[in-house]
Amino acid sequence: MDIARDFAAATQDLGAGARLAPLWWRVGLEQTVARYRRTLLGPFWLASSTLATAFSLAIVFGSIFGASLAQSFPFIMAGVVAWSVTGGMLGESANTFMLGAGIMQVQKLPLSFHAFLQVNRMMINFLHQVVAFWAVMALLRMFPLPHWQLILSLPLAAATALLFSIPVGMLATRYRDINYMIGFISQALFMLTPVFWRKGQMSPKLHWIADLNPFAHLLEIVRQPLLGHPAALTDWLASLGFFVVAGVVAVLSLTLYRRRVVFWL
Amino acid sequence: MTISISLNGVTLDYAIYSVRAQSLRNAVLNMAVGGKLMKGSNDVTVVRALNNVSFTLREGDRLGLVGHNGSGKTSMLKVLAGVYEPTGGRIRVDGRVSSMISMSIGLDHDASGIQNIRNLAMMQQIPKKEIERRLPEIISFSELGAYIHMPFKTYSAGMMARLTFSVATALNADILIMDEWISAGDAEFQQKAAARMASLVDEAKIVVIASHDMSLIKRVCNKVMVMEGGQATFFGSTEEWIRLTT
Repeated sequence: MDIARDFAAATQDLGAGARLAPLWWRVGLEQTVARYRRTLLGPFWLASSTLATAFSLAIVFGSIFGASLAQSFPFIMAGVVAWSVTGGMLGESANTFMLGAGIMQVQKLPLSFHAFLQVNRMMINFLHQVVAFWAVMALLRMFPLPHWQLILSLPLAAATALLFSIPVGMLATRYRDINYMIGFISQALFMLTPVFWRKGQMSPKLHWIADLNPFAHLLEIVRQPLLGHPAALTDWLASLGFFVVAGVVAVLSLTLYRRRVVFWL
Repeated sequence: MTISISLNGVTLDYAIYSVRAQSLRNAVLNMAVGGKLMKGSNDVTVVRALNNVSFTLREGDRLGLVGHNGSGKTSMLKVLAGVYEPTGGRIRVDGRVSSMISMSIGLDHDASGIQNIRNLAMMQQIPKKEIERRLPEIISFSELGAYIHMPFKTYSAGMMARLTFSVATALNADILIMDEWISAGDAEFQQKAAARMASLVDEAKIVVIASHDMSLIKRVCNKVMVMEGGQATFFGSTEEWIRLTT
């Protein structure tokens, strides 16, 4: 009886969060502006850091794997950009509710609002990174026309990030250790996910590392269209599966703990 | 829609977590030993912040919450604002709520006063055009003058209070919930603030204010609730309360 009511409240929370789109859209923009206030490049600082990471990785790993920079750079840069909306979100999601701690104490907002806000900030940053990616590619005369699948894969990646940031954010708010743990887990995942290497370059015995990693599939459905190719069907199916699992866990954790989060802050 | 608040047997319990209870190591240790090791240690304290509180407020009511520190005033305000959901009982709030429970939250100290007005109004979901239309009025009420273009961090506590008060009371909320910080600001601004509170009531709104300032409550409120240990020990008109206490 109580569970049924809490379950209904959990789904209503997600709906109410979505309906607050005008609010998290404005707040996300304002927070992005505020974060880079008094800087010259603004959010393009983040894009520059992506660019620098991609360049360094392309130089080192390109030469290790014997690939030319022209081959490895677009692949790695698109990978790093795609990572920011997939696995990179794992690190961010620990802060979902802690960043909103102040406002949660004084204003009634659905819990999912904070997750929507988080994903909105992520997408704003992603947009800057994609623009930087296209600008660099155009400069190198390698501009890849994006594949139409991007229109589907970006919303799927955003929705998945939204859903898993709810349980992860809750855990990190309740147990402060998780925050640090997520930090190194997401770093380890970056290495273990084929962001700057290809599955084929690995010994077949270790292919499971990429096959069983949901972020690897989610990454591919964003990266391949960015490079102008369609993503593989297995990547799509695995990503959809990840989305469904994240959704179930999100609704479950909202059902059980939605009311308590404010006391954990 | 008629604006009203009604509480029926509202109870609020919440757990306060110590530093130890927020550590994963202790949680794992607890699991490993079947929860026996940590049991009895008071790492997680359950507090009954509100105990079976019932009352009804109608349009035009201005409720003053009085009571000692820790008597449940702020918990009450947070339940009314919808920040905390009661553990037991029912609460029904009809009307748009604006809460001023803390004056520093939602403020960007590097941004100008004017940008902070925009941000505060944004959080109340006021459309952009409406904000710009009301800006001059809010600025003039705050009496901040040219300071409105200065970064918020350069403001004194009184100036900060004036800015937040000006925004919160300009936004036409149906129900206004305020903690006692309103008493910040100089005597002159206090008078202006009291006058605005009175005009808010004329517009048939509900105001709930928690304060230790008895003269403020006598001046502004028509109803008083005395809280003690999470319970309402008195709820009635201000006249009755004055008669009982003097």
